[in-house]
Amino acid sequence: MNSQFRRALAVALAACAGAAGLAGCGSSDNGSSNGKVTISVDCQPPKSNKTDRDAWNADVAAFQKLHPNITIKSVDKFPCEEPASFTAQLRGGTEADVFYAYATDTEQVLDSGQVADITPYVTDKTVPGLSDLDKTTLNVGRRNGKLYSLPRTNYAMGLVINRKLFKQAGLDPDQPPTTWAEVAKDAKQITEKVGHGVAGYADYSAGNNGGWHFTAEMYAQGGQVVTADGKKADFNNANGRAILTRLHEMRYTDDSMGAKQNLAWADLLKLASAGKVGMYVGAPDTIKAIHENFKGDYADFGMGPMPGETGPAPATLGGGDQYFFKKTDTPAQIRAGIAWLAYEELTPGKGQFDYARGKRIGQTVGQPEPQLFTGDTEAKIEKLRADNATVPVDNYASFREHPVPFKVEPPNAQAIYKVLDTAMSAVLTNRNADVGKLLATAEQQVNQVLAATG
Amino acid sequence: MQTRTLVSPTRLHRPGAKAAYWIVLGAVIVLFTLVFIGPLYWMVTGGLKTAQETAQAPPTWWPAHPDPGNYATAWSQLSLGRLLANTVLYAAGALAFQLVFDVAAAYALSKLRPVLGNVVLAAMIGTLMIPATVLIVPQYLTVLDLPILHANLLNTPWAIWLPSVTNAFNIFLLKRFFDAVPEELLAAGAIDGAGPIRTLWSIVLPISRPILGVVSIFAVTNVWKDFLWPLLAEADPARQPLNVGIYSLSQNVPQNILIAALAIAAAPTVVIFLIFQRNIMSGLAAGSLKG
Amino acid sequence: MTVTAAPRRSQRSTRSGQIRVPRYGRGVRRNLTGWLLLAGGVLCFLLFSWYPMIREFVLSVQQTRFGETSFVGLANYQRVIDDPAFWQAWRNTAEFTGLALLLGFALPFLIAVVLNEFRHAQGYLRVLVYLPVMLPPASALLLFKYAYDPGDGLFNSILSTFGLPTSQWLQSTTMAMPSLVLASTWMNMGSAVLIYLAALQSIPGELYEAAEIDGARLFRRFWHVTVPQCRLVLSLMLMLQVISTMQMFIEAFLLANGSGPEGATTTVVYLIYQHAFNLNDLGGASALGVLLLLVLAAFAAVYVRLDRPRG
Repeated sequence: MNSQFRRALAVALAACAGAAGLAGCGSSDNGSSNGKVTISVDCQPPKSNKTDRDAWNADVAAFQKLHPNITIKSVDKFPCEEPASFTAQLRGGTEADVFYAYATDTEQVLDSGQVADITPYVTDKTVPGLSDLDKTTLNVGRRNGKLYSLPRTNYAMGLVINRKLFKQAGLDPDQPPTTWAEVAKDAKQITEKVGHGVAGYADYSAGNNGGWHFTAEMYAQGGQVVTADGKKADFNNANGRAILTRLHEMRYTDDSMGAKQNLAWADLLKLASAGKVGMYVGAPDTIKAIHENFKGDYADFGMGPMPGETGPAPATLGGGDQYFFKKTDTPAQIRAGIAWLAYEELTPGKGQFDYARGKRIGQTVGQPEPQLFTGDTEAKIEKLRADNATVPVDNYASFREHPVPFKVEPPNAQAIYKVLDTAMSAVLTNRNADVGKLLATAEQQVNQVLAATG
Repeated sequence: MQTRTLVSPTRLHRPGAKAAYWIVLGAVIVLFTLVFIGPLYWMVTGGLKTAQETAQAPPTWWPAHPDPGNYATAWSQLSLGRLLANTVLYAAGALAFQLVFDVAAAYALSKLRPVLGNVVLAAMIGTLMIPATVLIVPQYLTVLDLPILHANLLNTPWAIWLPSVTNAFNIFLLKRFFDAVPEELLAAGAIDGAGPIRTLWSIVLPISRPILGVVSIFAVTNVWKDFLWPLLAEADPARQPLNVGIYSLSQNVPQNILIAALAIAAAPTVVIFLIFQRNIMSGLAAGSLKG
Repeated sequence: MTVTAAPRRSQRSTRSGQIRVPRYGRGVRRNLTGWLLLAGGVLCFLLFSWYPMIREFVLSVQQTRFGETSFVGLANYQRVIDDPAFWQAWRNTAEFTGLALLLGFALPFLIAVVLNEFRHAQGYLRVLVYLPVMLPPASALLLFKYAYDPGDGLFNSILSTFGLPTSQWLQSTTMAMPSLVLASTWMNMGSAVLIYLAALQSIPGELYEAAEIDGARLFRRFWHVTVPQCRLVLSLMLMLQVISTMQMFIEAFLLANGSGPEGATTTVVYLIYQHAFNLNDLGGASALGVLLLLVLAAFAAVYVRLDRPRG
């Protein structure tokens, strides 16, 4: 071999080495030797959120003390689910043994064929509060009688108000509007009295959030976006027209929704935290985000129930998140995972419900969320919350006093939301929007989506 | 530079023409300064405003209560250091891989022309028209699970480095340049007993400086400006390049902190550019694509 | 000196680079060395370009449900084409490309022509034009998003100060796309201007003088000297411009939350992204990818046909 070859070979080898030297991910050992089990669990709070992370780590240590044979490997992710990488992990089977998903993504997870059926493992014994668990929430992870997931949190939408702007407009912040007619009236009053480009009411119309809120408002009308059998769109009717017409009038006739539209999740909350929005539809977690991310003040925000036609709505949209178990988990791992979830997510006074500690270390305590349970268990949690509250609990009084049953999201939620975004965006950005035509087009598209996925 | 251009010098010396020239020049200078420096001024001052003031209408030309604290907050929230380090790592690796693999390939295709070389060249140039984005799904699945090796490259620098080599435009440029290298030069080397690789190293590369400069600028710029691919391939916040990191940040900080972060993120390259603008400008000009 | 490689039949002019001088010993060795040098590049192309292209076609006729992947023929194509958003996305992409040609292609050339006439401050002006290229695109775009605020953002304030009509910018179906192009042009124009300037400066002055002696006025000199002399650069830039605008994503994603008002900024690439990563529909996304691939290939064929080199 002369030097010529050697050098060319070196280049080629470098290429191969480059390709071969790629660290493959170490295969996770299903380490359950001699009764010891190791499980990886998603959604440890990120390093940037020291408070929550320390609490999580303390819980892991305490849990491992209780169960010396179980080792929890925390997977730190923020946000807990990032759609693209979530999709990737499902394709590649690289998710954690106990992995996190939004309620909306249940279909996707089941379609991937990556999940274990945990029905036989979930009993009153393994999950002590099981009988009190809210059925709607638990059933998010149930298909054909089989249970695939356990809930982590849930939310129900109501009407978030800016108390400061209410006062400035001469409205009573302890009496948020409970009908849409009142919402429109109050929004107009806020815009006119406060001025400075404040929108009395704001709503989403981008990033699939528009369709999400349209759905919530449809439930509030006593309607639905998809028929009960999940085969046809069900919004091209008086309810759908009422929603879009109302928004269009608030935007263009009353001029009470401000000029900024096409808002996606963060856009609206940024405006709200800068004191530019009087009211919007949302769950308590949006106020948490306003405080933690966008530096708004808890004291400025309060909540009322989801408004309806004649009083608080008959139903509101709810959702949440959950933990699934990977198909390759051993029975021992599933049992360990359930024990951990029962401890961390589903026990009053422990884990996420350890409100005494929460108050001590400066977490947010006192928001009416999640409401995973009913009956005695929920009462216990409510009491703990009230005793350790760090936020003005009274601001949520109206929301708590009018509990509105929640309905889960439709099948293929994201695809439907995407279609409905267009209608929402049209009534909020186009003075000459034709509500009837928008609904007819959206209906045709949603029917296509439903037909295609059968 | 005093070469003859569109307008003739004699015309410029006519009475009145001089004045017109200066008026046009002045207007262009003012306009350009406003259009290109204005936004930067507004970004830097916007970063000093309160969240309320950034949402205020009409906008203020100067912050009512300048608060440099926004920059401190933005700095800590943005983790700019890490994002920049990621970006530099991705850009440097992409540059190295492209310089080695693309130069070697272009040289082989231009001067050695091994069997099936034209087929390879055609297949490479064929991808010139196909933007990477079109193949985003299969490419993503490939990186997720590399055929044969079954490695998952997501959240590793390889996911940026290796696909960057498939830059048909750079290969096309390099090959065109090598084609123009006189055969006599190589022949001289061959007579001295130099093989093709030594010829490449000691004869071809030294005279290819301008084109290597251009290719390097393209390689680095591509990584610097890319968004969708790193958004998907480097989803882990600790591994994102700057461009994606800014977007992630925009989703969870108030507007005034975000504007401060935008200014901070823009600062390093703008400063480097202003310091080395002469070299960068001449580098771009030297390798300009002359027909 | 033996030659083992098949003689090449080149249709092209025999420039020096086209003459094969097999001086490197036997052909076998030359081939081996050549292929060794090609190995890295070819491997990368195989993995990240050619194989994904084939896979795109395969994925576009498949569907995955409950972990089972099945062949579904053209159902994915049927589904994406039936979606009204599909045609809208094509219209939007065409509109963006057309506008970008007007603004992003013609404007830098005109700016370069004007700058080239100046005997003063040219360096300063070049630096200015190139400055935005140095910003991270996300920085530039999020700044524009803020300036486009329809309420009373920076742009509307400036317009109303001068008594000009304001605009809804990103929130009007007609103005959303031009707003995207404007932002995109501002941040990308610098490189094109510099490339054109270099080309302009290499035009021999005698050509202008000759044209002048023939009595050609300013505009005719521009049209008959400047443009033909820059023909190669212009045509190359045109191709690059079309390719890059066809894959516009970040502008829509950051400025208009992707789809914009009533879907006015949904581009084909954004639709692909939505199907793949938002709707969990890899089949639909791949079908869209294949269609975009075919359109671009057709464009390439037309381009090559029109862009026959001189002589």
